[in-house]
Amino acid sequence: MRKLLTAAMMLALGVASASAQSLEDLNVQIHGYATQGFLYTTQNNIFTTTSSNGSPSWSEAVVNVAAQPTPKLRIAVQARYSLLGNFGNAITLDWAAADYKVNDKLGVRFGKVKIPSGLFNEIQDIDPSYLWALLPQSVYPLTSRNSFLSQYGGLVYGTLALPQKLGKLEYRGWSGEHALNADDGALLNLRESGTNQPDGIKGVATGGAIHWKTPIQGLMVGASDIRSNTQIIPSTLNFGAFTGTETVHPYNTPDYFAKYERGRILLAYEYARNQLNGMIVVPQFPFPVHFRFDERQQYAMASYKVTDKLSAGSYFSYYFNQHERNLSPNFQKDYTVAGRYDFNPFLYAKVEQHFINGTALSYDTGLNPGLKPNSKLTVLKIGVSF
Amino acid sequence: MKKRLLMFLFVALASLIGQRAYAQVIVIANPSVKATAVSKAELSDVFTGSATTLKDGSRAVPILLKAGTVHEEFLQAYIGRSDSAYRAGWRSLVFSGQGAMPKSVDGDAAVVEFVAHNAGAIGYIGKGTPHEGVKVLAVK
Repeated sequence: MRKLLTAAMMLALGVASASAQSLEDLNVQIHGYATQGFLYTTQNNIFTTTSSNGSPSWSEAVVNVAAQPTPKLRIAVQARYSLLGNFGNAITLDWAAADYKVNDKLGVRFGKVKIPSGLFNEIQDIDPSYLWALLPQSVYPLTSRNSFLSQYGGLVYGTLALPQKLGKLEYRGWSGEHALNADDGALLNLRESGTNQPDGIKGVATGGAIHWKTPIQGLMVGASDIRSNTQIIPSTLNFGAFTGTETVHPYNTPDYFAKYERGRILLAYEYARNQLNGMIVVPQFPFPVHFRFDERQQYAMASYKVTDKLSAGSYFSYYFNQHERNLSPNFQKDYTVAGRYDFNPFLYAKVEQHFINGTALSYDTGLNPGLKPNSKLTVLKIGVSF
Repeated sequence: MKKRLLMFLFVALASLIGQRAYAQVIVIANPSVKATAVSKAELSDVFTGSATTLKDGSRAVPILLKAGTVHEEFLQAYIGRSDSAYRAGWRSLVFSGQGAMPKSVDGDAAVVEFVAHNAGAIGYIGKGTPHEGVKVLAVK
Protein backbone atom coordinates (compact mmCIF):
# COMPACT_ATOMS: atom_id res chain seq x y z
CA MET A 1 0.00 0.00 0.00
CA ARG A 2 2.84 2.36 0.86
CA LYS A 3 4.53 1.66 -2.50
CA LEU A 4 1.26 2.35 -4.32
CA LEU A 5 0.80 5.64 -2.50
CA THR A 6 4.40 6.67 -3.12
CA ALA A 7 3.95 5.94 -6.83
CA ALA A 8 0.72 7.95 -6.89
CA MET A 9 2.45 10.87 -5.14
CA MET A 10 5.33 10.78 -7.64
CA LEU A 11 2.81 10.73 -10.50
CA ALA A 12 0.93 13.70 -9.05
CA LEU A 13 4.19 15.62 -8.61
CA GLY A 14 5.22 14.72 -12.14
CA VAL A 15 1.93 15.89 -13.64
CA ALA A 16 2.13 19.09 -11.61
CA SER A 17 5.69 19.75 -12.79
CA ALA A 18 4.93 18.95 -16.41
CA SER A 19 1.92 21.22 -16.56
CA ALA A 20 3.63 24.11 -14.83
CA GLN A 21 5.59 26.82 -16.57
CA SER A 22 7.84 27.82 -13.69
CA LEU A 23 8.30 27.74 -9.93
CA GLU A 24 6.17 30.89 -9.77
CA ASP A 25 3.30 28.99 -11.43
CA LEU A 26 3.73 26.14 -8.95
CA ASN A 27 3.36 28.57 -6.02
CA VAL A 28 6.19 26.84 -4.18
CA GLN A 29 6.48 27.69 -0.49
CA ILE A 30 9.14 26.65 2.00
CA HIS A 31 8.49 26.95 5.72
CA GLY A 32 10.14 25.57 8.81
CA TYR A 33 10.67 25.85 12.50
CA ALA A 34 13.11 24.73 15.16
CA THR A 35 12.76 24.44 18.93
CA GLN A 36 15.08 23.79 21.85
CA GLY A 37 13.72 22.70 25.20
CA PHE A 38 15.12 22.36 28.69
CA LEU A 39 13.61 19.99 31.28
CA TYR A 40 14.12 19.96 35.03
CA THR A 41 12.36 17.63 37.47
CA THR A 42 12.57 17.60 41.26
CA GLN A 43 11.99 13.82 41.32
CA ASN A 44 12.24 11.08 38.69
CA ASN A 45 13.62 11.41 35.15
CA ILE A 46 10.99 12.23 32.59
CA PHE A 47 10.74 11.45 28.83
CA THR A 48 13.91 9.26 29.00
CA THR A 49 16.06 12.30 29.75
CA THR A 50 18.19 12.87 32.84
CA SER A 51 15.88 15.71 33.79
CA SER A 52 16.53 15.47 37.54
CA ASN A 53 19.93 17.02 36.74
CA GLY A 54 18.40 19.40 34.18
CA SER A 55 18.40 18.23 30.58
CA PRO A 56 18.56 20.11 27.27
CA SER A 57 17.94 16.86 25.40
CA TRP A 58 14.83 18.03 23.58
CA SER A 59 15.29 19.50 20.09
CA GLU A 60 13.21 19.60 16.94
CA ALA A 61 13.62 21.01 13.44
CA VAL A 62 11.02 20.82 10.69
CA VAL A 63 11.11 21.74 7.01
CA ASN A 64 8.00 21.94 4.89
CA VAL A 65 7.92 22.28 1.10
CA ALA A 66 4.59 22.80 -0.65
CA ALA A 67 3.45 23.49 -4.18
CA GLN A 68 0.06 24.55 -5.44
CA PRO A 69 0.05 24.08 -9.22
CA THR A 70 -3.70 24.76 -9.48
CA PRO A 71 -6.10 26.48 -7.05
CA LYS A 72 -7.60 23.12 -6.08
CA LEU A 73 -4.49 20.92 -5.97
CA ARG A 74 -1.81 21.19 -3.30
CA ILE A 75 1.17 18.88 -2.87
CA ALA A 76 3.39 19.07 0.19
CA VAL A 77 6.02 17.15 2.10
CA GLN A 78 7.38 17.68 5.61
CA ALA A 79 10.55 16.28 7.17
CA ARG A 80 11.49 16.39 10.84
CA TYR A 81 14.58 16.00 12.94
CA SER A 82 13.69 15.26 16.54
CA LEU A 83 15.55 14.36 19.68
CA LEU A 84 14.00 13.66 23.05
CA GLY A 85 16.15 11.78 25.54
CA ASN A 86 16.58 8.29 24.09
CA PHE A 87 14.00 8.91 21.38
CA GLY A 88 14.59 10.05 17.84
CA ASN A 89 17.91 11.67 16.93
CA ALA A 90 16.95 10.99 13.33
CA ILE A 91 15.35 12.65 10.35
CA THR A 92 11.93 11.21 9.53
CA LEU A 93 9.11 11.84 7.08
CA ASP A 94 6.36 13.63 9.01
CA TRP A 95 3.87 13.47 6.21
CA ALA A 96 3.68 13.81 2.43
CA ALA A 97 0.35 14.34 0.78
CA ALA A 98 -1.54 15.50 -2.26
CA ASP A 99 -4.68 17.46 -1.45
CA TYR A 100 -7.50 18.11 -3.91
CA LYS A 101 -10.18 20.46 -2.66
CA VAL A 102 -13.22 20.30 -4.93
CA ASN A 103 -14.92 23.05 -2.92
CA ASP A 104 -15.42 23.94 0.74
CA LYS A 105 -17.84 21.01 1.10
CA LEU A 106 -15.52 18.30 -0.21
CA GLY A 107 -11.79 17.74 -0.29
CA VAL A 108 -9.61 14.63 -0.47
CA ARG A 109 -6.06 14.06 0.69
CA PHE A 110 -3.87 11.01 0.21
CA GLY A 111 -0.32 9.91 0.90
CA LYS A 112 1.12 9.90 4.40
CA VAL A 113 -1.54 12.06 6.04
CA LYS A 114 -1.96 13.53 9.50
CA ILE A 115 -4.70 11.91 11.57
CA PRO A 116 -7.31 14.55 12.48
CA SER A 117 -8.68 12.93 15.63
CA GLY A 118 -9.43 14.75 18.86
CA LEU A 119 -9.01 18.44 19.45
CA PHE A 120 -5.27 18.88 18.89
CA ASN A 121 -3.99 15.66 17.29
CA GLU A 122 -3.37 17.22 13.87
CA ILE A 123 -1.18 19.92 15.42
CA GLN A 124 0.11 18.18 18.54
CA ASP A 125 3.68 18.14 17.19
CA ILE A 126 3.56 21.71 15.82
CA ASP A 127 5.05 23.71 18.65
CA PRO A 128 4.74 27.24 17.17
CA SER A 129 0.97 26.93 16.92
CA TYR A 130 0.05 26.85 20.62
CA LEU A 131 0.83 28.34 24.00
CA TRP A 132 1.92 25.19 25.83
CA ALA A 133 5.40 23.66 25.87
CA LEU A 134 3.69 20.33 26.58
CA LEU A 135 0.11 19.59 25.61
CA PRO A 136 -1.82 17.67 28.31
CA GLN A 137 0.04 14.37 28.55
CA SER A 138 -3.07 12.39 29.44
CA VAL A 139 -4.37 12.71 25.86
CA TYR A 140 -1.22 13.74 23.94
CA PRO A 141 1.70 11.76 25.44
CA LEU A 142 4.94 13.12 24.03
CA THR A 143 6.86 9.84 24.10
CA SER A 144 4.33 7.86 22.10
CA ARG A 145 2.85 10.53 19.85
CA ASN A 146 4.23 8.85 16.72
CA SER A 147 1.54 6.23 17.25
CA PHE A 148 -1.16 8.79 16.57
CA LEU A 149 0.29 11.42 14.26
CA SER A 150 -0.02 10.12 10.71
CA GLN A 151 -0.66 7.08 8.56
CA TYR A 152 -0.43 5.93 4.94
CA GLY A 153 -3.84 6.27 3.35
CA GLY A 154 -6.37 8.95 2.63
CA LEU A 155 -8.97 11.21 4.11
CA VAL A 156 -12.02 13.14 2.98
CA TYR A 157 -12.99 16.42 4.59
CA GLY A 158 -15.29 19.37 4.20
CA THR A 159 -17.50 21.96 5.83
CA LEU A 160 -21.28 21.93 5.60
CA ALA A 161 -23.50 24.91 6.42
CA LEU A 162 -26.38 23.86 8.65
CA PRO A 163 -29.91 25.17 8.12
CA GLN A 164 -31.71 27.68 10.33
CA LYS A 165 -28.51 29.40 11.46
CA LEU A 166 -27.41 26.29 13.35
CA GLY A 167 -23.80 26.96 12.54
CA LYS A 168 -21.41 24.81 10.51
CA LEU A 169 -20.38 21.18 10.58
CA GLU A 170 -16.84 20.19 9.67
CA TYR A 171 -16.37 16.50 8.93
CA ARG A 172 -13.37 14.25 8.35
CA GLY A 173 -13.14 10.58 7.55
CA TRP A 174 -9.93 8.61 7.08
CA SER A 175 -8.52 5.14 6.62
CA GLY A 176 -5.09 3.70 6.06
CA GLU A 177 -2.16 1.70 7.25
CA HIS A 178 -0.80 2.57 10.59
CA ALA A 179 2.86 1.57 11.00
CA LEU A 180 5.51 1.96 13.67
CA ASN A 181 9.09 0.82 13.14
CA ALA A 182 10.69 -1.45 15.73
CA ASP A 183 12.98 1.38 16.86
CA ASP A 184 10.16 3.87 17.32
CA GLY A 185 10.19 5.56 20.71
CA ALA A 186 6.60 4.48 21.32
CA LEU A 187 7.84 0.91 21.76
CA LEU A 188 10.61 1.76 24.24
CA ASN A 189 8.54 1.20 27.36
CA LEU A 190 7.33 -2.14 26.01
CA ARG A 191 10.90 -3.18 25.24
CA GLU A 192 11.99 -2.33 28.76
CA SER A 193 9.15 -4.41 30.18
CA GLY A 194 10.27 -7.41 28.11
CA THR A 195 8.06 -7.10 25.03
CA ASN A 196 10.02 -7.03 21.78
CA GLN A 197 8.46 -6.34 18.43
CA PRO A 198 11.38 -6.78 16.00
CA ASP A 199 9.27 -5.83 12.97
CA GLY A 200 7.32 -3.12 14.74
CA ILE A 201 3.58 -2.72 14.70
CA LYS A 202 1.24 -2.22 11.80
CA GLY A 203 -2.43 -2.44 11.02
CA VAL A 204 -5.41 -0.73 9.48
CA ALA A 205 -6.99 2.23 11.26
CA THR A 206 -10.23 3.88 10.16
CA GLY A 207 -11.73 6.93 11.79
CA GLY A 208 -14.06 9.87 11.59
CA ALA A 209 -14.45 13.24 13.26
CA ILE A 210 -17.04 16.00 13.36
CA HIS A 211 -16.56 19.54 14.61
CA TRP A 212 -19.79 21.46 15.13
CA LYS A 213 -19.18 25.21 15.03
CA THR A 214 -22.25 26.20 17.00
CA PRO A 215 -24.28 29.41 16.56
CA ILE A 216 -22.67 30.63 19.79
CA GLN A 217 -19.74 32.58 18.42
CA GLY A 218 -16.45 30.88 19.25
CA LEU A 219 -17.94 27.64 20.60
CA MET A 220 -17.06 24.36 18.87
CA VAL A 221 -18.18 20.93 20.05
CA GLY A 222 -16.84 17.75 18.50
CA ALA A 223 -16.23 14.04 18.61
CA SER A 224 -14.00 11.53 16.88
CA ASP A 225 -13.46 7.80 16.90
CA ILE A 226 -10.84 5.44 15.48
CA ARG A 227 -11.22 1.74 14.85
CA SER A 228 -7.80 0.13 15.00
CA ASN A 229 -6.96 -3.36 13.84
CA THR A 230 -3.37 -3.74 14.93
CA GLN A 231 -1.08 -6.57 13.96
CA ILE A 232 2.18 -7.24 15.74
CA ILE A 233 4.20 -9.37 13.35
CA PRO A 234 6.00 -11.40 14.50
CA SER A 235 4.76 -11.00 18.04
CA THR A 236 7.56 -11.88 20.36
CA LEU A 237 7.55 -11.46 24.09
CA ASN A 238 10.28 -12.38 26.46
CA PHE A 239 9.32 -13.70 29.86
CA GLY A 240 12.68 -14.57 31.29
CA ALA A 241 13.69 -17.70 29.36
CA PHE A 242 10.31 -18.03 27.60
CA THR A 243 9.14 -16.54 24.32
CA GLY A 244 5.53 -16.05 23.33
CA THR A 245 3.20 -14.23 20.98
CA GLU A 246 0.81 -11.36 21.56
CA THR A 247 -2.51 -10.63 19.87
CA VAL A 248 -4.39 -7.34 20.24
CA HIS A 249 -8.09 -7.42 19.36
CA PRO A 250 -9.54 -4.61 17.20
CA TYR A 251 -10.44 -1.65 19.40
CA ASN A 252 -11.99 1.82 19.34
CA THR A 253 -10.69 5.13 20.66
CA PRO A 254 -13.65 7.48 21.14
CA ASP A 255 -12.88 11.12 21.88
CA TYR A 256 -15.18 14.01 22.86
CA PHE A 257 -14.14 17.64 23.03
CA ALA A 258 -15.26 21.25 23.18
CA LYS A 259 -13.47 24.54 22.63
CA TYR A 260 -14.53 28.12 23.24
CA GLU A 261 -12.27 30.71 21.67
CA ARG A 262 -13.25 34.33 21.56
CA GLY A 263 -11.16 37.46 21.76
CA ARG A 264 -8.36 36.86 24.20
CA ILE A 265 -9.88 33.80 25.88
CA LEU A 266 -9.56 30.10 25.08
CA LEU A 267 -11.30 27.36 27.07
CA ALA A 268 -11.11 23.68 26.12
CA TYR A 269 -12.05 20.27 27.43
CA GLU A 270 -11.33 16.82 26.01
CA TYR A 271 -12.13 13.29 27.12
CA ALA A 272 -10.85 10.15 25.39
CA ARG A 273 -11.06 6.47 26.16
CA ASN A 274 -8.79 3.70 24.99
CA GLN A 275 -10.17 0.26 25.71
CA LEU A 276 -7.94 -2.55 24.57
CA ASN A 277 -8.06 -6.32 25.00
CA GLY A 278 -5.53 -8.90 24.02
CA MET A 279 -3.97 -12.26 24.64
CA ILE A 280 -0.46 -13.55 25.22
CA VAL A 281 0.35 -17.13 24.33
CA VAL A 282 3.53 -18.74 25.66
CA PRO A 283 3.86 -22.41 24.58
CA GLN A 284 5.35 -23.41 27.91
CA PHE A 285 2.38 -21.93 29.82
CA PRO A 286 -0.68 -24.17 30.30
CA PHE A 287 -3.15 -21.47 29.21
CA PRO A 288 -3.06 -18.06 27.45
CA VAL A 289 -2.75 -14.86 29.47
CA HIS A 290 -5.51 -12.32 28.76
CA PHE A 291 -4.89 -8.62 29.35
CA ARG A 292 -7.10 -5.57 29.28
CA PHE A 293 -6.50 -1.81 29.39
CA ASP A 294 -9.24 0.71 29.93
CA GLU A 295 -7.52 4.08 29.78
CA ARG A 296 -9.50 7.25 30.54
CA GLN A 297 -7.82 10.45 29.48
CA GLN A 298 -9.05 13.99 30.02
CA TYR A 299 -8.05 17.59 30.59
CA ALA A 300 -9.53 21.05 30.99
CA MET A 301 -7.57 24.13 29.96
CA ALA A 302 -7.89 27.90 29.94
CA SER A 303 -5.65 30.54 28.46
CA TYR A 304 -5.68 34.31 28.15
CA LYS A 305 -3.83 36.61 25.77
CA VAL A 306 -2.53 39.24 28.16
CA THR A 307 -1.02 41.40 25.41
CA ASP A 308 -0.37 40.87 21.70
CA LYS A 309 2.95 39.25 22.66
CA LEU A 310 2.25 37.60 26.00
CA SER A 311 -0.12 34.66 26.66
CA ALA A 312 -0.69 32.76 29.88
CA GLY A 313 -2.71 29.68 30.75
CA SER A 314 -3.32 26.71 32.95
CA TYR A 315 -4.63 23.17 32.61
CA PHE A 316 -5.46 20.12 34.65
CA SER A 317 -4.72 16.81 32.97
CA TYR A 318 -5.85 13.45 34.35
CA TYR A 319 -5.08 9.94 33.13
CA PHE A 320 -6.01 6.67 34.72
CA ASN A 321 -6.33 3.04 33.83
CA GLN A 322 -9.71 1.93 35.13
CA HIS A 323 -8.20 -1.24 36.51
CA GLU A 324 -6.65 -0.52 39.89
CA ARG A 325 -7.00 3.21 39.21
CA ASN A 326 -5.81 4.26 42.66
CA LEU A 327 -2.38 2.69 42.33
CA SER A 328 0.26 5.33 41.54
CA PRO A 329 1.53 3.57 38.35
CA ASN A 330 -2.04 3.49 37.01
CA PHE A 331 -2.88 7.18 37.20
CA GLN A 332 -1.33 10.58 36.68
CA LYS A 333 -2.59 14.06 37.54
CA ASP A 334 -0.84 17.11 36.19
CA TYR A 335 -1.56 20.69 37.30
CA THR A 336 0.14 23.10 34.91
CA VAL A 337 0.69 26.84 34.54
CA ALA A 338 2.30 28.21 31.39
CA GLY A 339 3.36 31.38 29.62
CA ARG A 340 4.48 32.25 26.11
CA TYR A 341 6.13 35.41 24.83
CA ASP A 342 6.38 36.20 21.12
CA PHE A 343 9.34 38.52 20.60
CA ASN A 344 8.27 39.01 16.97
CA PRO A 345 6.34 36.93 14.39
CA PHE A 346 9.28 34.51 14.13
CA LEU A 347 10.80 34.08 17.60
CA TYR A 348 9.10 32.97 20.80
CA ALA A 349 9.84 31.55 24.25
CA LYS A 350 7.76 29.37 26.58
CA VAL A 351 7.98 28.64 30.29
CA GLU A 352 5.88 26.04 32.05
CA GLN A 353 5.56 24.55 35.54
CA HIS A 354 3.97 21.13 36.13
CA PHE A 355 2.91 19.64 39.44
CA ILE A 356 2.68 15.90 38.76
CA ASN A 357 1.05 13.32 40.98
CA GLY A 358 1.22 9.68 39.85
CA THR A 359 3.60 7.83 37.57
CA ALA A 360 1.50 6.30 34.80
CA LEU A 361 3.04 8.34 31.98
CA SER A 362 6.40 9.50 30.69
CA TYR A 363 8.74 7.54 32.97
CA ASP A 364 10.85 4.64 31.76
CA THR A 365 12.12 2.01 34.15
CA GLY A 366 15.77 2.14 33.02
CA LEU A 367 16.35 5.71 34.20
CA ASN A 368 14.03 5.48 37.19
CA PRO A 369 14.90 2.53 39.42
CA GLY A 370 12.80 3.95 42.27
CA LEU A 371 9.94 6.06 40.98
CA LYS A 372 8.62 8.65 43.44
CA PRO A 373 4.86 9.27 43.42
CA ASN A 374 5.15 13.07 43.04
CA SER A 375 7.36 15.33 41.00
CA LYS A 376 7.58 18.91 39.78
CA LEU A 377 8.60 19.56 36.20
CA THR A 378 9.89 22.89 34.86
CA VAL A 379 10.05 23.35 31.10
CA LEU A 380 11.78 26.15 29.21
CA LYS A 381 11.54 26.30 25.47
CA ILE A 382 12.59 28.63 22.71
CA GLY A 383 11.44 28.41 19.12
CA VAL A 384 11.93 30.06 15.78
CA SER A 385 9.71 29.65 12.73
CA PHE A 386 9.45 31.06 9.22
CA MET B 1 -24.45 62.70 37.28
CA LYS B 2 -21.09 64.20 36.45
CA LYS B 3 -19.49 60.74 36.59
CA ARG B 4 -22.15 59.33 34.27
CA LEU B 5 -21.63 62.16 31.79
CA LEU B 6 -17.89 61.60 31.84
CA MET B 7 -18.41 57.87 31.37
CA PHE B 8 -20.75 58.52 28.43
CA LEU B 9 -18.24 60.88 26.82
CA PHE B 10 -15.46 58.32 27.33
CA VAL B 11 -17.47 55.51 25.72
CA ALA B 12 -18.55 57.76 22.84
CA LEU B 13 -14.96 58.88 22.25
CA ALA B 14 -13.66 55.31 22.43
CA SER B 15 -16.22 54.09 19.90
CA LEU B 16 -15.44 57.01 17.58
CA ILE B 17 -11.72 56.21 17.77
CA GLY B 18 -12.52 52.58 17.06
CA GLN B 19 -14.63 53.42 14.03
CA ARG B 20 -12.03 55.84 12.78
CA ALA B 21 -9.34 53.17 12.96
CA TYR B 22 -11.43 50.63 11.06
CA ALA B 23 -12.42 53.27 8.53
CA GLN B 24 -8.76 53.60 7.51
CA VAL B 25 -8.84 50.15 5.87
CA ILE B 26 -10.86 49.17 2.82
CA VAL B 27 -11.36 45.68 1.44
CA ILE B 28 -10.81 45.27 -2.29
CA ALA B 29 -11.49 42.40 -4.69
CA ASN B 30 -10.83 41.37 -8.25
CA PRO B 31 -13.79 42.30 -10.52
CA SER B 32 -14.42 38.53 -11.01
CA VAL B 33 -15.80 38.41 -7.45
CA LYS B 34 -19.57 38.70 -7.85
CA ALA B 35 -20.33 40.06 -4.38
CA THR B 36 -20.41 43.78 -3.69
CA ALA B 37 -20.50 43.23 0.08
CA VAL B 38 -19.25 40.56 2.44
CA SER B 39 -19.90 39.82 6.08
CA LYS B 40 -17.19 40.03 8.72
CA ALA B 41 -17.58 36.26 9.26
CA GLU B 42 -17.01 35.56 5.54
CA LEU B 43 -13.87 37.69 5.54
CA SER B 44 -12.60 35.95 8.65
CA ASP B 45 -13.24 32.50 7.13
CA VAL B 46 -11.41 33.39 3.91
CA PHE B 47 -8.42 35.01 5.64
CA THR B 48 -8.04 32.21 8.22
CA GLY B 49 -8.20 29.40 5.66
CA SER B 50 -11.61 28.08 6.74
CA ALA B 51 -13.21 28.87 3.37
CA THR B 52 -12.08 29.28 -0.21
CA THR B 53 -15.35 30.70 -1.52
CA LEU B 54 -17.74 33.46 -0.52
CA LYS B 55 -21.42 32.78 0.16
CA ASP B 56 -22.34 33.70 -3.43
CA GLY B 57 -19.99 30.98 -4.71
CA SER B 58 -17.20 33.31 -5.86
CA ARG B 59 -13.71 31.88 -5.42
CA ALA B 60 -11.75 33.92 -2.86
CA VAL B 61 -7.94 34.12 -2.75
CA PRO B 62 -6.64 36.21 0.15
CA ILE B 63 -3.52 38.34 -0.09
CA LEU B 64 -1.77 39.81 2.94
CA LEU B 65 0.41 42.79 3.70
CA LYS B 66 3.64 41.71 5.38
CA ALA B 67 3.37 44.28 8.19
CA GLY B 68 2.31 47.82 9.00
CA THR B 69 -0.57 49.78 10.45
CA VAL B 70 -3.08 48.84 7.77
CA HIS B 71 -2.26 45.14 8.28
CA GLU B 72 -2.63 45.40 12.07
CA GLU B 73 -5.88 47.33 11.77
CA PHE B 74 -7.34 44.83 9.31
CA LEU B 75 -6.50 41.89 11.59
CA GLN B 76 -7.93 43.59 14.67
CA ALA B 77 -11.09 44.81 12.93
CA TYR B 78 -12.05 41.79 10.85
CA ILE B 79 -10.15 38.75 12.17
CA GLY B 80 -9.95 39.70 15.84
CA ARG B 81 -6.34 38.56 16.25
CA SER B 82 -2.91 40.06 16.62
CA ASP B 83 -0.35 39.45 13.87
CA SER B 84 1.50 36.80 15.90
CA ALA B 85 -1.73 34.92 16.74
CA TYR B 86 -2.88 35.16 13.14
CA ARG B 87 0.38 33.77 11.79
CA ALA B 88 0.38 31.02 14.45
CA GLY B 89 -3.04 29.97 13.14
CA TRP B 90 -1.71 29.72 9.60
CA ARG B 91 1.35 27.81 10.75
CA SER B 92 -0.99 25.20 12.24
CA LEU B 93 -2.55 24.73 8.82
CA VAL B 94 0.74 24.75 6.89
CA PHE B 95 2.64 22.33 9.16
CA SER B 96 -0.30 19.92 9.43
CA GLY B 97 -0.87 19.83 5.68
CA GLN B 98 -4.23 21.59 5.77
CA GLY B 99 -3.35 24.71 3.83
CA ALA B 100 -0.81 26.97 2.16
CA MET B 101 0.07 30.38 3.59
CA PRO B 102 -1.51 33.25 1.62
CA LYS B 103 0.84 35.37 -0.46
CA SER B 104 2.26 38.37 1.43
CA VAL B 105 3.44 41.57 -0.25
CA ASP B 106 5.25 44.68 0.90
CA GLY B 107 2.86 47.58 0.30
CA ASP B 108 -0.65 48.70 -0.64
CA ALA B 109 0.31 49.22 -4.29
CA ALA B 110 1.47 45.59 -4.54
CA VAL B 111 -1.84 44.43 -3.05
CA VAL B 112 -3.79 46.44 -5.65
CA GLU B 113 -1.57 45.07 -8.42
CA PHE B 114 -2.10 41.45 -7.30
CA VAL B 115 -5.85 41.83 -6.74
CA ALA B 116 -6.36 43.52 -10.10
CA HIS B 117 -4.64 40.72 -12.02
CA ASN B 118 -5.75 37.55 -10.19
CA ALA B 119 -9.26 36.14 -10.41
CA GLY B 120 -10.89 35.82 -7.00
CA ALA B 121 -8.22 37.81 -5.19
CA ILE B 122 -9.27 39.72 -2.07
CA GLY B 123 -7.03 42.12 -0.17
CA TYR B 124 -7.02 45.20 2.02
CA ILE B 125 -5.39 48.60 1.65
CA GLY B 126 -5.32 52.02 3.26
CA LYS B 127 -8.31 54.16 2.35
CA GLY B 128 -6.22 56.76 0.52
CA THR B 129 -4.45 54.29 -1.76
CA PRO B 130 -5.34 54.55 -5.47
CA HIS B 131 -7.16 51.36 -6.48
CA GLU B 132 -7.97 51.34 -10.16
CA GLY B 133 -8.88 47.98 -11.67
CA VAL B 134 -10.33 46.53 -8.46
CA LYS B 135 -13.70 46.76 -6.75
CA VAL B 136 -14.27 47.86 -3.17
CA LEU B 137 -16.25 45.42 -1.02
CA ALA B 138 -18.49 46.78 1.69
CA VAL B 139 -18.14 44.86 4.96
CA LYS B 140 -21.52 44.27 6.63
